[in-house]
Amino acid sequence: MVSEKHTVEILGTTFIFQGILEADEAHLIESALAKNRRDIIRKKEVTIDMSDCSGADTVAAVVIYTFCREVKQKGVKVTTIGFTADLRNLFSSFERHEQSDPPEKKDISLRRTFVGIGEMVYELGKTLKGLNLFLFDAVNALYTLILSPRKIRWRMVFYYMEEAGLKSLPIVATLTWLMGTVLGYQAGYQLKMFAAGSFMPSMIGYSITWEIGPMLAAVLVAGRSGSAFAAEIGTMKVRQEVDALKVMDFSPFDYLVTPKLVALLFVMPLVVLVADCAGIVGGLLAGGVFLGMSADTYLHSISLSLLPIDFLWGMMKGLVYAIIIANTGCYIGMRVRGGAAEVGRATTGAVVYSIFLVILADALLSLLFVHIRPGISI
Amino acid sequence: MPKNNLIAVENLQGGYGTGEDRHLVLDDLNMTVRKGEILAIVGPSGCGKSTVMRNLIGLEKPWKGRILFDGRDIHKTDEALSAARRRWGITFQSGALLGNLTILENVMLPLQEYTSLSPFEIKLTAYEKLETVGLDTLGASYPMDISGGQQKRAGLARAIALDPEVLFFDEPSAGLDPITSSRLDNLIIKINKVFNTTVVIVTHELASIYAISDRVVMLDPLEKRIIAEGQATDLRDNSSDERVLAFFRREDISKRG
Repeated sequence: MVSEKHTVEILGTTFIFQGILEADEAHLIESALAKNRRDIIRKKEVTIDMSDCSGADTVAAVVIYTFCREVKQKGVKVTTIGFTADLRNLFSSFERHEQSDPPEKKDISLRRTFVGIGEMVYELGKTLKGLNLFLFDAVNALYTLILSPRKIRWRMVFYYMEEAGLKSLPIVATLTWLMGTVLGYQAGYQLKMFAAGSFMPSMIGYSITWEIGPMLAAVLVAGRSGSAFAAEIGTMKVRQEVDALKVMDFSPFDYLVTPKLVALLFVMPLVVLVADCAGIVGGLLAGGVFLGMSADTYLHSISLSLLPIDFLWGMMKGLVYAIIIANTGCYIGMRVRGGAAEVGRATTGAVVYSIFLVILADALLSLLFVHIRPGISI
Repeated sequence: MPKNNLIAVENLQGGYGTGEDRHLVLDDLNMTVRKGEILAIVGPSGCGKSTVMRNLIGLEKPWKGRILFDGRDIHKTDEALSAARRRWGITFQSGALLGNLTILENVMLPLQEYTSLSPFEIKLTAYEKLETVGLDTLGASYPMDISGGQQKRAGLARAIALDPEVLFFDEPSAGLDPITSSRLDNLIIKINKVFNTTVVIVTHELASIYAISDRVVMLDPLEKRIIAEGQATDLRDNSSDERVLAFFRREDISKRG
C-alpha cells in the first residue's frame, strides 16, 4: 500500500515499513496490517520491519502496537526489526500504561440498579436533612430580623419582590385564567349532562381557590425564582463572592438568603390571590361561552359558595410555599462546589425539589383544611 | 509569642475533603508573620499555599494546631474570628466583587456595615480608596464591565476600605499580563509602606516574589510543611536545598542527570 509519506511492503507475514508514519495516515497502516491477518494467525508468526522507517508518531505507533498485541493474544510470535530507541520506548510506555490501567469492572445490571436506587434515596435523604437544618437557620434569621427590622436589606427585598412577584404575575394570571376556562368548560359539560350545570361556578371556585390557584402559582414561582435563586447563589459561590462575604464578616445567610425569603413571604400570598381571581374569571368566560350562563348568575353563585377563608387559606398556603421555594433554591445554591456545570445541576435540582416539596406540603395542608373549613363534613 | 509577631501558625494540620475523601495537605506547619512585613508564601502547584491561606483567613478550620492573631486563637470562637476579620483585608484571585453592585457600592459595603459614617462620608471614603488603586473614574461600572486586572484592583480597594492591619492576597498576579502585574505589585508595596500594613501574599510568580517580598516561606508538597524561610534572593543564591534552588532558579529538577 502506498501513501504520500510512507509505504508498506507485505511479504507473506512480514511487513516492511518505509518513510514516515504519521497520524493522518493511520487508517492506511491499519488496513495494511489487516490484510494478511488470517495467514499470520494460521502461521503463528509475524515480522514488523522498521529498518527503513524514518520515524513514527504516537498515533501510528499505537496502531502497530495494538496489532501486535492482538495477534500475540492469538498465540502469534511477533518479531520486530529495526525499531529505533524512541519507538521501543514508546512501545514500553504503551505496555506500562496498559498494565497500570485497571480493567473496567463489569457491573451486573440488577446490582447497578439497586445501587443506583440506594444512592438516589441516600441523596434525597441527605438533601431533605440539609433543607431542614437550613430551615431552622431561616426561621432563626427571620426571628432575629423581626426583632430588629432595620437589619433587613430592604433594597434587596424590594428587588426580589419585583423579580419574583411582580414579574411573575402576567404568566401566573394567564395560566390560571386558562386553567379556569378549561376547568369551567369541562366541568360544565359533564354537569350539564345531569342537569347540574348551575353548580359549575361553585366547583370552579372551590378547585381554583383551594388547589389550582395556589399550586400553579407555586409551581411557576418555583420555576422562575427558585431556579434563579439557586443559580445566583451557585454562581456567587463559584466566583468566590460568598467567600468574600464571609471574610468581610458578613453573614452570607443574612445577605443572600433572608432578603429572598422576606420578599417571597410578602409577594407569594398576593400572587396566589391574583391566580385565584384570574382562575375565577376564566371560569366566568367558560360559563358564558359554553354554557350560556350570565356573568351575574356566575358571580352570584360564586359569592354564595365561597367564604373569605377559601381565599385566605390559599394565601396562607402561599406563605408556606414561599418558605419552601426560597429555602430550597438558596440551600441548593449554597451547596454548589466546583464549576459552571454544578450551577446548572443546582438550578435543575432547585426546581425539582421545590415542586416536590410544594406538592407534599399541599397534600398535608389540604388534609388539614377539610377539618377546619366550616361547611365541610366528612 | 515575640512582640513583633502578628500572626503565629502552630503545628497546623489541614487539607480538604471529608470522610474517606480527606486529603492531608499540610502537616505540622509552623510559621509567623511579623508586623509590617510583606511575607510571600510560595511553592510549586499542589504544595498547599491556598490551603494555608484558607486556614489563615478562617475559611477552613485546622484539623489540628492553631492560628494566633495578636495572641488570640482565631478558630477558638466565632467572636474571635469575627474580631480578627474586621482587622483584615482579603483579596481573592478573581477579585470576588459582588456582581449586582457597582464598583463604588462594593467598596462602600464594609464601610456601611462597620462604620457609623454618614452616606456622604462613606461615598467620599470609598472614592478615596478607589483613587488609591487608580479606579476612581470607574466607580459607577459593574464588575462585569471592567477587565480582570481592574477587578483585582477594585477588590483591593474594598479590602483596604477599613484600613486593615493585615492584607491577604491570594495569587494577585494570576491571569495578569506582566505590566498589569507589576503595577499591582507597586500598589501592594505602596500600601505596605504608606499605611504600614502587614501583607501576606500567596503566589508562585517569581517576579512578584523578588519585587515585593521582605521574607519568603516555601512549602513542599511531599513534606507538607515549610522547607525554607528567608529573603528571596538569599534563598536563590545561598540555599543548599535542591528543591528551593529549582523553584527560585526556575529549573526542572526531574531532568537533572
